[in-house]
Amino acid sequence: MGLRTALVTMNADLIAQMSCNPAIGGIAKGHLVREIDALGGVMGEVTDEVGIQFRLLNTSRGPAVWSPRAQCDKRQYRVRMKEVLEQEPNVRILQAEVASLRVHGEVGKQVVDGVLLADGRELRAGAVVVTTGTFLNGLAHVGEKTYTCGRNGEAPSVALGDQLRQSGLRWGRLKTGTPPRLDGRSIDWDRFEAQEGDREPTPFSFLTERIEREQIKCHIAYTTERTREVVRAAIDRSPLYSGQIEGIGPRYCPSIEDKFVKFPDKERHQLFLEPEGLDTNEVYVNGMSTSMPLDVQVAMLESVPGLEEVEVIRPGYAIEYDAIDPRELDHSLEVKTIGNLFLAGQINGTSGYEEAGCQGLMAGINAARRVRGENGVRLERTDGYIGILIDDLVTKGADEPYRMFTSRAEFRLHLRIDNADERLTGLGRSVGLVDDRRWENFERRQREREVVRGLLGTLRLSAARFPELGIENGDNPMAAAWLRRPEAQIEALRPWIEGQYGESVGREGLRSVEIELKYAGYIDQQRRQMDRLRDSGERTIPREFRYEGIPGLSREIRSKLEAVRPETLGQAGRIPGVTPAAIVVLDCYLTLGERRQGV
Amino acid sequence: MHLGDTIVAISTPPGRGGLGVVRISGAHARPIAASILRLPAGASFTPWRAHLAHLLSAGGSVVDQVIVTYFAAPRSFTAEDVVELSCHGSPAILHHAVERAAAAGARLAEPGEFTFRAFLNGRIDLPQAEAIHDLIESTTLYQARVAARQSGGSLARLLHPLKAQFLDLIALLEAGIDFAEDDVPVASETQIAARIAPLEAELDRLVRSYSWGKVVTSGITLAIAGRPNVGKSSLFNRLLQQDRAIVTDIAGTTRDTVSETASLDGIPIRLVDTAGIREGHDLVERLGIERSLQAMADADLTLVVWDLSQPLIPDDEQVLDRARTQGRYLLLGNKCDLAPAFPPPAELLPVSAATGSGFDLLRQRIVDAASPGGRLELESGFITSLRQERLLRQSLDSLRKGLASLGHGVPHEMLLLDFYAALEALDAITGKTTADDILNRIFSTFCIGK
Repeated sequence: MGLRTALVTMNADLIAQMSCNPAIGGIAKGHLVREIDALGGVMGEVTDEVGIQFRLLNTSRGPAVWSPRAQCDKRQYRVRMKEVLEQEPNVRILQAEVASLRVHGEVGKQVVDGVLLADGRELRAGAVVVTTGTFLNGLAHVGEKTYTCGRNGEAPSVALGDQLRQSGLRWGRLKTGTPPRLDGRSIDWDRFEAQEGDREPTPFSFLTERIEREQIKCHIAYTTERTREVVRAAIDRSPLYSGQIEGIGPRYCPSIEDKFVKFPDKERHQLFLEPEGLDTNEVYVNGMSTSMPLDVQVAMLESVPGLEEVEVIRPGYAIEYDAIDPRELDHSLEVKTIGNLFLAGQINGTSGYEEAGCQGLMAGINAARRVRGENGVRLERTDGYIGILIDDLVTKGADEPYRMFTSRAEFRLHLRIDNADERLTGLGRSVGLVDDRRWENFERRQREREVVRGLLGTLRLSAARFPELGIENGDNPMAAAWLRRPEAQIEALRPWIEGQYGESVGREGLRSVEIELKYAGYIDQQRRQMDRLRDSGERTIPREFRYEGIPGLSREIRSKLEAVRPETLGQAGRIPGVTPAAIVVLDCYLTLGERRQGV
Repeated sequence: MHLGDTIVAISTPPGRGGLGVVRISGAHARPIAASILRLPAGASFTPWRAHLAHLLSAGGSVVDQVIVTYFAAPRSFTAEDVVELSCHGSPAILHHAVERAAAAGARLAEPGEFTFRAFLNGRIDLPQAEAIHDLIESTTLYQARVAARQSGGSLARLLHPLKAQFLDLIALLEAGIDFAEDDVPVASETQIAARIAPLEAELDRLVRSYSWGKVVTSGITLAIAGRPNVGKSSLFNRLLQQDRAIVTDIAGTTRDTVSETASLDGIPIRLVDTAGIREGHDLVERLGIERSLQAMADADLTLVVWDLSQPLIPDDEQVLDRARTQGRYLLLGNKCDLAPAFPPPAELLPVSAATGSGFDLLRQRIVDAASPGGRLELESGFITSLRQERLLRQSLDSLRKGLASLGHGVPHEMLLLDFYAALEALDAITGKTTADDILNRIFSTFCIGK
């Protein structure tokens, strides 16, 4: 976007260090990466370059919930990301600790105009984006031992943490965890079931034609009765159960001890052994996040057949960190009471690289627009998963680390990976993030889709192909009708389509057209719901709107509205506990207010 | 709440009054009113003028004589096109008018919606905060009352387990989608169908229970029919336990239909005493007979009265035949205290208006016959409002649509559209279900997390 940007990090070698599982994507998270890519972000392209196992998940479900996932080479991901950053002419990387923000003005109406570094330097800026991950007052737990840290041995950010804690904003304490890493040479691999990557990998980026690199295998392991006994015997040494950990952890990613306690009837739990890269022996034990003491971790691992001789390189640990109540933010991710200050990632109560990445992108866009004096860009819930994530955060807050799920998307049939570009690349272009290469690529895909839609609309399948396509005499021979069958696949028509078009056609483009035809009824139903939502939720609520003194609102509802300060009536209706009656009352008052001002 | 809809509601206070007003507001108010009314020949809706008209049943018979006034936008209460029907104040008639308007395309108005529209359209000027305070207070008080009744009340108790089952069904499918990687078993079609079956059965039962719920809240119309002088008016008075209709020995004393309300087991019954039916004599009596036949056609239940002490004549048989073809009826043999003149058929219920003999059984049979589904006990639960019935029916329809798609290769996230639609209809009665409710259910049911 052409603005001079300083990137301040405590260790320039560890930018884009994957602190947990070295995997990108997964169900709903893969959608986020596609959307980041469609907007001009780099996460998808880098993953395509350094992925070592690709799988498209959920293919036994419908196309709206297919989602790509890739196991990455941890070191290469970091190295490649840094190269990309270094190629940006306007980005200057600084290794330093930010000690504090330069804040001016009275509480409630403050503004930020730069940062102070711990080494005494001072940076002035039109806008500041803070992305502290788990570093803000980070505290790690391994059994009874605790130590302050940011991420696996790195130093925490305490000075900035203290300043933010005293800023008058609402803060909470969250917890996340990570499993032990094993030495691959000490694992008896033959005793585990192998999990292969896809034969034909699905790339994350719309710009990646195909992925040629050879893929590695992961392996599936199961806990045993012995594992359960080990956990049971040591449960009072778990910081989770001894009261040592105060932060709230994610229920979708519980530690292994939590799984045994909460689901005592489940006999075994699944674990995945995932190599962390091509040139390392470290193996990530997916599913065994734990903060048990090291000796218990080793005993648990040894109870799994094939891991009897295992060597632990790094123990698993839990980490507690500071996160803001994201209801302090507006939809552009700017702090409502501190102008020019934008927050993104785990500091906003989310978990996951993808959730963090998309916020960083949106916060970055909006910070840049703020500097230029332009309006913030806001994605709606109907635009993409990114819109849903931000709206959920600023409307409902985050009681536990927030992860994206497809069930959070009320319009998920519309929000698919195959059409993320149709939904978002235009916006990316208009804000200046989509370069010519990406834009031309997008336009070509749009043309392809147009042509394929047109061709399929008129194609009558020839009788000679009936047996091969499973068409009986008397069935509707139009291609569009045939494609509505669940088993019909558009790839069968590719040669004909390409013959007519005169050029090769991308897989994704064909897929979009197929999905639109096959599920037209459901997609239309969803589109009507989206229109209704737009109609009913658009009314804006002034930023300074006073909720006090409105007699129809209960004190409880009023305090909820004041905590969020919703931007629209639709958003107000999504705040938990705000009743439809309260919305009617608000609507009434807004009308009255407008009439008084003669609007 | 969509402000573009045409809405309908009873706008007089609940309960029985001399007159009741049904108000229809919105762009389609006039065509909707026209489709449920019959104006006198040659008449049309002249704005701001009262017209006499007939409110028709779905079958086209006359239910009531009403005064109808059309207020053209913007000179109306809501500043939209408004039609007001002043009906006779029986809840049964008023509900009938609302149901007919709803069937013709009007939506049932939300509480306070007429006032709200009037306000939004600038029709009611509320410069004073105090005035708006009242408006809002009344809106929310109503909502609060509704909410209080629903959260602590019988309907909530009925719907709560139903919603829990919906959450189970949806969580089962959602867990299979969002946590496919987490060792969560994929729901089979049999498993899904097994969760739908009890939901469908209970929704279906509740929808059907409205025929009883309506009886309890709005009551029923009961016509008493028979040839002259079999004792219809005495029976009528005995049921009402008062002297209301004129009773003489001269055949044809009741020249017109007479109606009054009684309460049987707490159910309001509108009794319509009719003129005796026989091969016509003078014009006035023939008109009375016409109306009697009409009253039978419009009644929920007809009591056919024979005189046990007199030999049967063809007029008696004709009245019974007529009742048979027109709907539900009970055959009564009056004057059972006298010597019988003919052997009574098995279906005949012997009563005596003079002594009261047989009336306990009669009252019970009337209540049992009032609803096609029969009497329901309070504990089993039933619904009492048309709005609830509509929403539950919507829910049932969506659920069935989803069930029908099961086994046709429709992906689960699309099946879920129908299940969410079904849940949303229930939510309109009980309060919203959020994505977090569903996630909570998933996390408490399945062991999630790699």
